[in-house]
Amino acid sequence: MSRVAIVGVGQTHHQRRRTDVNVPGLVREAAKRALQDANLTMADIDSVVVASGPVLFAAVNQPEKWVVDALGARGKPVVRITSGGGTGFAGALGGYYQVAGGFAKRVLVVAYDKLSEGQLQYSISSLYDPFWGREFAVGIMGFSAAYWRARMDALGHTEEAAARVVVKNLANARLNPYAHVRKDVTVEDVLKSPPLAWPIKLLDVPPISDGAAAVVLSAEDLAERGSTAPAWIRGIAYCAEADNAPQRSMLMSEPLAHAARTVYRAAGITNPRRQLDVVEVQEPYSCFELSYYESLGLCAPGGAAELVASGATQIGGDIPVNPSGGCLGANPIGASGLIRLIEAAMQVTGKAGEHQVHAARLAAAQTGGGWANLRGLAVVSAD
Amino acid sequence: MAQNTFAKPRRVGVVASAQTDWRDAWPGAQHIDLIAAAVHQALEGSGLRIEDVDFVIDSGSDVLDGRSISNCGFLGAMGAHHKEESRVEDDGLWAALYGVNKIASGAADVGLIIAYAKPSEADLQQFHATVAEPFCQRPVGLDEATAQGLIAQDYLHRNGLTDDMLAEVAARAWGSALVNPRLGLQSAPSLEDILASPWVATPLRQLMLARPVDGAVALVLASERVARRVTPTPVWVTGLGAAMDSGNITMREPGFNACAVAAKAAYGKAGTSAAQVGVAEISAGSAAAELLTLEALGFAQAGRAIDLYRGAAGPQVNRSGGALPASPVFATGLVRLAEAADQLAQGASAGPAVVHAASGLGAQSHCVFVVEA
Repeated sequence: MSRVAIVGVGQTHHQRRRTDVNVPGLVREAAKRALQDANLTMADIDSVVVASGPVLFAAVNQPEKWVVDALGARGKPVVRITSGGGTGFAGALGGYYQVAGGFAKRVLVVAYDKLSEGQLQYSISSLYDPFWGREFAVGIMGFSAAYWRARMDALGHTEEAAARVVVKNLANARLNPYAHVRKDVTVEDVLKSPPLAWPIKLLDVPPISDGAAAVVLSAEDLAERGSTAPAWIRGIAYCAEADNAPQRSMLMSEPLAHAARTVYRAAGITNPRRQLDVVEVQEPYSCFELSYYESLGLCAPGGAAELVASGATQIGGDIPVNPSGGCLGANPIGASGLIRLIEAAMQVTGKAGEHQVHAARLAAAQTGGGWANLRGLAVVSAD
Repeated sequence: MAQNTFAKPRRVGVVASAQTDWRDAWPGAQHIDLIAAAVHQALEGSGLRIEDVDFVIDSGSDVLDGRSISNCGFLGAMGAHHKEESRVEDDGLWAALYGVNKIASGAADVGLIIAYAKPSEADLQQFHATVAEPFCQRPVGLDEATAQGLIAQDYLHRNGLTDDMLAEVAARAWGSALVNPRLGLQSAPSLEDILASPWVATPLRQLMLARPVDGAVALVLASERVARRVTPTPVWVTGLGAAMDSGNITMREPGFNACAVAAKAAYGKAGTSAAQVGVAEISAGSAAAELLTLEALGFAQAGRAIDLYRGAAGPQVNRSGGALPASPVFATGLVRLAEAADQLAQGASAGPAVVHAASGLGAQSHCVFVVEA
């Protein structure tokens, strides 16, 4: 298989609401930055993948057919890949196989959501089964609260454990110019914030953002032509768990563990805690970051509360998680999974600026969507 | 067999497929029932078990399904539990393109490609209208029928043709569909019936536009190593191409140029040309779009595709009936691949087959496969 590299990355400065651009303008902004970073133009791009969240988020059906002109992609293959919260990552995966399978030499993957224009929780509620689930659907928060509560009961984890994730990620977000949440919070502040669906409280919840992100993926023989060093994709997978599978566990994310096995094998990782220099995870609520620690093998099952309390996942720790601030700093959902991959690539190429992890060479990017049943992982490296 | 000109990638074959019947409505079956039926039948025919499937790529629309992340609700029916799965929100032929690349890369051996639609439960006119750009195009009421009508009008005018030629195209399609067992048609409309059907968007009448149907299709792709063990008649995907035109219908040049670009790429990869193609399965939203597609695929000069219906040399077009008698929205192109693969496996042509899908208002985007026995 041909090796695939990330040769350019771009993000918008994510905000709660962008009224100065429409969707094509937002998408173009990120694409332009990725092409600039790669020292390429659209003429160098063979194929485009557009990824955005559920169409109901923004009420434009098949939006790739709208943004094609703003991207300058007329006459090229353009396809939309979507997969709930992990959409941006799923788009990168589709682009990865276009390169690895020989369909294209260079693929532009652009992911976005302009959530200020839609009814987010209404749209999410419509993902439930129309006969069995929708009558008591309340967005995704109710489900997530039940998930966390189950882990608290079974593992003895406390609300403080998730609050520590919030404090860490928001402190990191202050170092990230693309994040828009600028808050200094303490564990105490998080615990005292109003409950929305207990144990989820206001400060456990990421913002709703407008934003876009883009990467240029390249085949190996063209990868060294960019302006900066490429980040190599050493393994990438996105796995599913059937919604009503009776054996689904609320304690561990099995599709993530499944993806991790595949990706770690491909990347030659046998001890993720020791080998990985930095990890970016897509945490739709603070509590999910904890379960990811376990499924990713950063600690033993049930050990996440202890891991976050130890400080190991802070930027200066031995296994920094979300130095970018993660979704708590900015959450344009359809782009969030791709942003994790971009941040991982920036870390291993030394471009992360103030939130750079010292001498990072090997990074993991995690993603997820659906009812916590779609989970992905990629490992990128400097060589 | 044409030389495989992928960079280094492995050869990928279509080894099995299955379709449900295509009906105006399947009121007694949910999406999951139709999907599960197609998946079950596809595997049953292949000798493969669901455990042998490495990944699932599905095509579908949240808007048509009335459900966000609708793939999420269908994972069990698709057999995707604990597998890699992705949703391509476009015609199923783009999902197949994804699957071919994934196997060609060496990362997987067996992939299940799924497409389905239940337009009977949706407002298809609204589905298409919401594709239109929201500020300038949507307010004027552009929808798929209008877009097809504008394109047809322009095509007839530019080439000095008349609308009874469109009826000729539609009559041929319905005639072929009569012997397609999955459509269960008792009779097909005659030329006169077509010309007497109501106007929808001048010059197009009801029976000159694709008829939406419910159903599901599943197709199994495999690496050469697996394909040779599974079936004596694998059909190889030797060429792939895709291209999208402007979102603004008035900004497009006359003719389906994006289709011509996609076809050129696919022929180039397969090392073949339009002249060698024996079978064509194409997706057209209207009788005029069928002619435009045939011209863009290189089977006739501009304005002359009608000759193919009057005995001119060319490939066998849409032996299945094509998209006019049965268009399950996003499943239409994947059905074409299944049909073309079946026809080649049964020896319909010694030459390659061309498979075509279109999507977007007025066929904005095109995907072309070349497949060979």
